[in-house]
Amino acid sequence: MTEEPRIGVYVCHCGFNIAGTVDVKKVAEFAKTLPNVVVAKDYVFMCSEPGQDLIKADIKAHNLNRVVVSACSPSLHEITFRTAVSEAGLNKYLLEMANIREHCSWVHHDKEKATEKAKEIVRMAVAKARHLEPLEELEVKAEPSALVLGGGVAGMRAALELANYGFNVYLVEKAPTIGGKAALIGYIDPKTKGPDVVSKMFDRIKDCPRIQVLTNAELIQLSGFAGNYNAKIRINPRYVNEKCTLCGECEEVCPIEVSNEYNFGLNKRKAIFLPFSNAYPPYYAIDYRVCVKCGECEKVCRFGAINLKEEPKTIELKVGSVIIATGYDPYRPFKGEYGYGLHQNIITLFQLERLLDPESPTKGELIIGGKVPKSIAFIQCVGSRNTTPGAKEYCSRMCCTTAINSAIKIKEKYPDTNVYILYKDIMTYGSDETLYEEAGKKLVQFIKFEDKIPKVSITPEGLFIDVFEYTIQENIRIPVDAIVLSIGMLPPRDIEELIAVTRVSCGGEGFVREAHLKLAPVEAPTKGIFLAGCITGPKNILESIRMGSAAAAKAMSLLSKGKITIEPMIAQVNEEKCSGCAICVGVCPYSAISIKKVNGDRIAYVEKALCMGCGTCNAACPSGAMQHLGFKDIQLLAQTRAVFGGEMNV
Amino acid sequence: MSDSKGEFEPKIVVYACNWCTYAATDLAGTSRMSYPPNVRIIRVMCSGRVDPQFVLQAFADGADGVIVAGCHPPADCHYIEGNYKAYRRFELFRKLLETMGIEQERFRLEWISAAEASRWVQVVNEMVAQLKKLGPLKPNLEVRE
Repeated sequence: MTEEPRIGVYVCHCGFNIAGTVDVKKVAEFAKTLPNVVVAKDYVFMCSEPGQDLIKADIKAHNLNRVVVSACSPSLHEITFRTAVSEAGLNKYLLEMANIREHCSWVHHDKEKATEKAKEIVRMAVAKARHLEPLEELEVKAEPSALVLGGGVAGMRAALELANYGFNVYLVEKAPTIGGKAALIGYIDPKTKGPDVVSKMFDRIKDCPRIQVLTNAELIQLSGFAGNYNAKIRINPRYVNEKCTLCGECEEVCPIEVSNEYNFGLNKRKAIFLPFSNAYPPYYAIDYRVCVKCGECEKVCRFGAINLKEEPKTIELKVGSVIIATGYDPYRPFKGEYGYGLHQNIITLFQLERLLDPESPTKGELIIGGKVPKSIAFIQCVGSRNTTPGAKEYCSRMCCTTAINSAIKIKEKYPDTNVYILYKDIMTYGSDETLYEEAGKKLVQFIKFEDKIPKVSITPEGLFIDVFEYTIQENIRIPVDAIVLSIGMLPPRDIEELIAVTRVSCGGEGFVREAHLKLAPVEAPTKGIFLAGCITGPKNILESIRMGSAAAAKAMSLLSKGKITIEPMIAQVNEEKCSGCAICVGVCPYSAISIKKVNGDRIAYVEKALCMGCGTCNAACPSGAMQHLGFKDIQLLAQTRAVFGGEMNV
Repeated sequence: MSDSKGEFEPKIVVYACNWCTYAATDLAGTSRMSYPPNVRIIRVMCSGRVDPQFVLQAFADGADGVIVAGCHPPADCHYIEGNYKAYRRFELFRKLLETMGIEQERFRLEWISAAEASRWVQVVNEMVAQLKKLGPLKPNLEVRE
């Protein structure tokens, strides 16, 4: 420290809020006796303009280089007084607040005791202030662009918001088409389905030059920090280009047949295929994982749209922020779970939704096992709410509404078919509750089970469900022609790779965790990375869309100034003291610390833009080399000793 | 330390994380709750920042009790897992206290969310009552066999 501290202490009355309980004059008088205090004053409202002017004038008149404001909580007026001192030419981090309102006058009634306590709080603040240092904010340039991972509704919405604002967006999707699960299934309201919303979004994306859609693509490496991320993207070959006219001749000659994941395995597709009729980009794709490159399709294509020599390529992008919207996977029932996999008439809700789609193999007719079922039963909470040993604890949010909506559709089209819904609880929250009522009117039969889950029997006479009906407290047996398992949501299969590349973290259920549910929703713990859609847990389509908008808004507010300010209250290494033990590297939650070689010595290095300023490295450092600026060891020890009147020498 | 009537008034140093516990202590104020004036609060950004040497310094200088308080596990921590770092450090530290002749009851690690002002008041009341029972800290510096 070059300069001897010259401290001014300003005790606020806050009207009667402080002065009613604390003898502020006595506190100010006491402050004058503290080491390095040059001036101490009390005033009725320190945060008022005259109050601030008083401080500013004193800084100049007394050549102050530290200021202690003894008033309310720093959460209320720290910024106010930081601004005031900086207007007087002092570095704003040379201010310390002594909280004698929330921590003293408002919670104590004995005037004498409260005054004594206030004095000690001021003594603690002065002790810390003696060790404060000027700190400088850093600014880094921010790229006005974003990488959006996942082309489902959440990702598409985020991309559109960002592009509308003028950002360049790279929309990266693993599959050969964007659209996600909502392009295939899903209920939004009685007149709108998931696919309707998705095709409207496709239209917008087509017309938006700022959005670059990269399909068959995945993020393989992410480095850098908020405002300046470097993303490495691998693009797997599609083998079909934009000359494709969707004539479909290639599909006919292709000898490879695999299960069609776009119909959830209801039928087969070829190695060259169109995922669905309005897929985007609107041309065929060859599944590079199964194609044997026989060349038949290339021969038959009259437009030269197929090139089997295409190679995978890796591109590098520079982006300011990353939005993760990679969605979910449907729950996979194990073989025999409610008879799944043992009988062709036992299907999942996702398969039923595809079956009822006009594009389905049955052209939208409810044909299961060759005929329209006379009775069909939905079993809810498959894979959710602890129904089976493999099931998750949570509710998957979309299955009740989707199942009930399908049940209504079935009843409308096939009034003679008996429809049962076996449920634990009906979770048609919000306006979807009207669906539940309507289903009752349409004579969909609701059967409640509690902890005893229904048992499915496959017999030569057909399918039977045995269930203990909770309301009437009786065992009943229902003969059915078909069973629909309302499966829930799982974290996506490749979430481990995502975590490894993006350094996000997972909560207990395996979904990606937000930095803080209440204080930092939609944000990943790493600055500049945002989350949208089902990657953080089950959501319905509308909720995912909203979260996409929210993530985009947060990315925009971060990048809109073209630069990002880095808080200076972060970790700093004293290179002389650092032994390169790397304990700090292990405790840093943000991977902000690494070990670098400086003149042959191992030294900890803090990437300033990644450090969030928690200080846990400081607490872990065995040699005191790592210091949390603004909360350095010496500052906090001085504050501690001052409780008892002790001092730390400057 | 004792008050004017000569009754023992323990002094407690509190290290409170900025995001949860410090906010709870502020809320106790804005809600005009009432608790004994025995605590002195030191703000840190995260409970994971609290170095055991601060706690030892406080005891050495005359604290009768110390509280380290942060955000609830598992997911309330503003810095992902700083609360777990604090938990690991101080569960080990607690065991060391006894060997230094400091009763374990003089140290508390607490999780108090920003909304739990009443929990904060409860913790202060409990700690004050407990320390009054224990009396002033007299470190037992005799070497044990």
